[in-house]
Amino acid sequence: MRKLKGLSNLESLRKKLLAERKRIRSTMIIPNGTCCQASQSPGVIDAVHNELVRQGLDKSVRVRLSGCLGFCEQEPIIVFEPGGLFYCQVKAEDAKEIVARTVKNGEVIERLLYTDPVSGKKVRTEAEIPFYQAQDRQLLNHNRSVDPCAIEDYIAIGGYSALAKTIAGIVPEAVIGEIKASGLRGRGGAGFPTGRKWAECAEAPGDEKYVVCNADEGDPGAYMDRCLLEANPHIILEGMMIGAWAIGASTGYIYVRNEYPLAVQHARIAVEQARKLGLLGENILGSSFSFDVEVARGGGAFVCGESTALMASLEGKVGEPRAKDIHTVKDGLRHKPTVLNNVETWANVPSIILNGAKWFAAKGTKGSKGTKIFALTGQVKNTGLVEVAMGTPLNRIIFDIGGGSKNDKAIKAVQTGGPSGGCLPVGKFDLPVDFDTLYEAGAMMGSGGMVVMDEGTCMVDVARYFLNFLWDESCGKCVPCRVGVDRLLEIVTDIAEGRGRREQIALLEELADTISVASLCALGKTAANPVLSTLRYFPEEYAAHVDHKKCPAGVCKALISYSIQSDKCNGCGSCLRACPHDAIDGRKKKVHIIDEKECRRCGICVGECKFEAITVS
Amino acid sequence: MQQYVTLKIDDARVQAIKGASVLDAAMASGICIPHLCYVPVLKDSGACRLCIVEVVNDGRTKITASCTLNAEDGMVIRSNTERIRKLRKNIAELLVAQAPNSRAVQDIAVRCGVKEVRYPFRNDNCIQCGRCVRYCTEYSKANALGFVGRGKNRHVEFALGFRRDFCKKCGFCTEYCPMSVTPCGGSMKSGEGRLCGNCESQTATADKFTGVCVRCELGRGFGCVRQTYV
Amino acid sequence: MTALNSILKGRQSQPHLLIEVLHDVQDLYGYLPEEAMSAVAQELGVPLMEVYRVACFYKAFSLKPRGKHVFTVCTGTACHVRGAKLLIDQVKGQLNIEPGETTEDGLVTIENVNCVGACALGPVVIQNGAYCHHMTPGKLRKAIDKSRGKKKKEERAHA
Repeated sequence: MRKLKGLSNLESLRKKLLAERKRIRSTMIIPNGTCCQASQSPGVIDAVHNELVRQGLDKSVRVRLSGCLGFCEQEPIIVFEPGGLFYCQVKAEDAKEIVARTVKNGEVIERLLYTDPVSGKKVRTEAEIPFYQAQDRQLLNHNRSVDPCAIEDYIAIGGYSALAKTIAGIVPEAVIGEIKASGLRGRGGAGFPTGRKWAECAEAPGDEKYVVCNADEGDPGAYMDRCLLEANPHIILEGMMIGAWAIGASTGYIYVRNEYPLAVQHARIAVEQARKLGLLGENILGSSFSFDVEVARGGGAFVCGESTALMASLEGKVGEPRAKDIHTVKDGLRHKPTVLNNVETWANVPSIILNGAKWFAAKGTKGSKGTKIFALTGQVKNTGLVEVAMGTPLNRIIFDIGGGSKNDKAIKAVQTGGPSGGCLPVGKFDLPVDFDTLYEAGAMMGSGGMVVMDEGTCMVDVARYFLNFLWDESCGKCVPCRVGVDRLLEIVTDIAEGRGRREQIALLEELADTISVASLCALGKTAANPVLSTLRYFPEEYAAHVDHKKCPAGVCKALISYSIQSDKCNGCGSCLRACPHDAIDGRKKKVHIIDEKECRRCGICVGECKFEAITVS
Repeated sequence: MQQYVTLKIDDARVQAIKGASVLDAAMASGICIPHLCYVPVLKDSGACRLCIVEVVNDGRTKITASCTLNAEDGMVIRSNTERIRKLRKNIAELLVAQAPNSRAVQDIAVRCGVKEVRYPFRNDNCIQCGRCVRYCTEYSKANALGFVGRGKNRHVEFALGFRRDFCKKCGFCTEYCPMSVTPCGGSMKSGEGRLCGNCESQTATADKFTGVCVRCELGRGFGCVRQTYV
Repeated sequence: MTALNSILKGRQSQPHLLIEVLHDVQDLYGYLPEEAMSAVAQELGVPLMEVYRVACFYKAFSLKPRGKHVFTVCTGTACHVRGAKLLIDQVKGQLNIEPGETTEDGLVTIENVNCVGACALGPVVIQNGAYCHHMTPGKLRKAIDKSRGKKKKEERAHA
């Protein structure tokens, strides 16, 4: 394909691509993102491809590799277009049958259909799956229509038309006005009004300005940005181009965390392909607008998700944040005005330009407009990526879409917002999810991570987990965070290991307040949230650990013991053989015993025992 | 032509050179704001957080470090409110729990009103104020010392751990290190909640603090900048 | 050192490329040797202290050679809630090393990472770049034994 010299060239290319696609009889969409690959999708893809070739169908049937479709528990998946027939948990061995029966004869293979766990019925098409039906997949729906490594797919579905519309006739001030009117707020967690950020940067003095995409997504349990960048990198590029036009930038950076190699790869391929078509570079689409993008890798540091630390990292330095008394929109990357936005924020921009601010603002709540993608994970049946309108209540997401508890244990809490967020108990699940409501309840929507916890999760352990995470990831520059988080961890560890004292709880709260106010950056300022929210909503668990030296959920090792129930043990010896610490004793066919002193509570024996004879108390 | 800005610190009208920090402005006007990592000749760090103040803007109060805050016309600063004093006390308490036998750190703790230490003592020999690193990098430009590692593992080290050869032997690192000040005469033992007696003899002056500099003995310990003013 | 030269080619005097260059050096050698760091400092125009600081700050970089088999345990929230801690404990007990360390025989390195973004499949362990999902302590023990060439666990026999 040759460089597009003008707006009309883009249109003709799109028409040409659509005509080509009409000639394809059918398409098999097979997701091949990071998780999908972990679930052996490459084997399925190879098998399907080989079988199509063998049957001479590879010219009339297209196999399109896509990014994540969001229904991660059911991978590997195949979706057929047209029609939307949905096969899940496909194995490579099924390929022959699929091509022979479904592709050639249009037959449905019942055993590969999704079974609705509530009704017990088989579901035929993607559109009928309850998990999808309850969502509003404004952004995620594009994933099924594009191969991330093929810019033609993106153009065919209308991609880059928002950019064309902008270049053709929307002045920068008007673009900023539209984004402001839409009410779009940053999707990375802080929720700063995007239009206002762009306006301040546009007004800042200086000729050299930058746009940056924050793809550092460090919140453990959150992978929305990975999915978007892997599955549809062009939508982010397009958003950045429009932003660059609006503020007057000619260079952009996508900073991707090192732990996302596939996202880095797809982003780089997308940039290359956009350059070849002339959508990046000098005089884009025949205009005077010049813009190019570089994809940079992080080095493995959660703190680099903070804007000033990210910019330091882009400059090749350690990711130490600096004081933000002067905002980065005035003094950012290399001390130049910079707009830094999250992946999902950028991804929302093209549709706002195409459909208008009113369209975007029609969804959501008064203070939080549009839709939001959540990574629903943990002890819930349907784990995956969920996109709903802002203001959707927690219980709709966790029970209706998530399907409720994964096992027989009742759901106890949900953790939102990563290490900066907090835990909310089941009693608060009627709260709508948006920027402000959860914040008032002591949690935070954050970037979209939503980890569901059941009775088997100890909330003191959760607080300890997050403190340990932050202790590991803190840059260490300022005293309240470096020393304060260390001391918070020390106290919570005491509590978890049975050495807790009542007065430590008061100290926890006082220290948490100091850290929240006095720390230099947002990592430190929000570091105490997990502790504070678990103290607030689960005081009985702390009391059990401190006053009774017990862990009700059976997690904290110092407070639990493993024992074999004599009425269930038949002396098979599986546990004895499996125990790496030689802590189990017993004769053949006689009840076995665990030596408490040797037992390290590793849990291997529980996994080995087929008679559920080992209990944790 | 020097340009000046006028701001309010604790209800006092203060004039400062344009481009100075709020901490600079306060100290030059005789208002005492405790600090540790701040050294006039070096780029401001904002690491110890002892110099935090309240900035009042349109009825909203923000708390931030005064050493990295540019003094501007019309700013309203409060450096000695109850909230700020409590926060400073807690930060100083954290510091003294890390390095209880350092005279300088004890001085700071007393100045900030620490009476008891509620954490088990550790005996760190570095409180990571950054003075040595910043002198070495910014002033002597030797780049021999640097902060290596993250979080709890962060420490000061030579390049690659052993490259002493970059050192220019200027001596600033030891001269300005708070830990190299003559150690306190009393010995802090873990489990002792209170500071030892030697420094408490200074509390008589510290208790009367209204935020105005009284040229206390405490400042000598951590190299208070006011020591250099006439 | 021609492989190193080709990494540094075209990147002279560009300090902002330090992290990218160190990634390439790590990919080449499996870790960051001291001579390589000195060469990078020289060519990029960055003080050696800075190179060393960056190498120690970011988790992706290793200053010591890594083992033949690298097992990375994900310790993100979703994996933690599904028992990732048991995996770490298992590894510590089996190999007597902490995450970030390598066994004496240089065969196995254990690392932990705070979320790889495959949360639906947790607990996740990445073995030499391959993602293994729904891991249990037992499965991990077998995988590590296999990589060390141990055929079957030396079993305790019944008394």
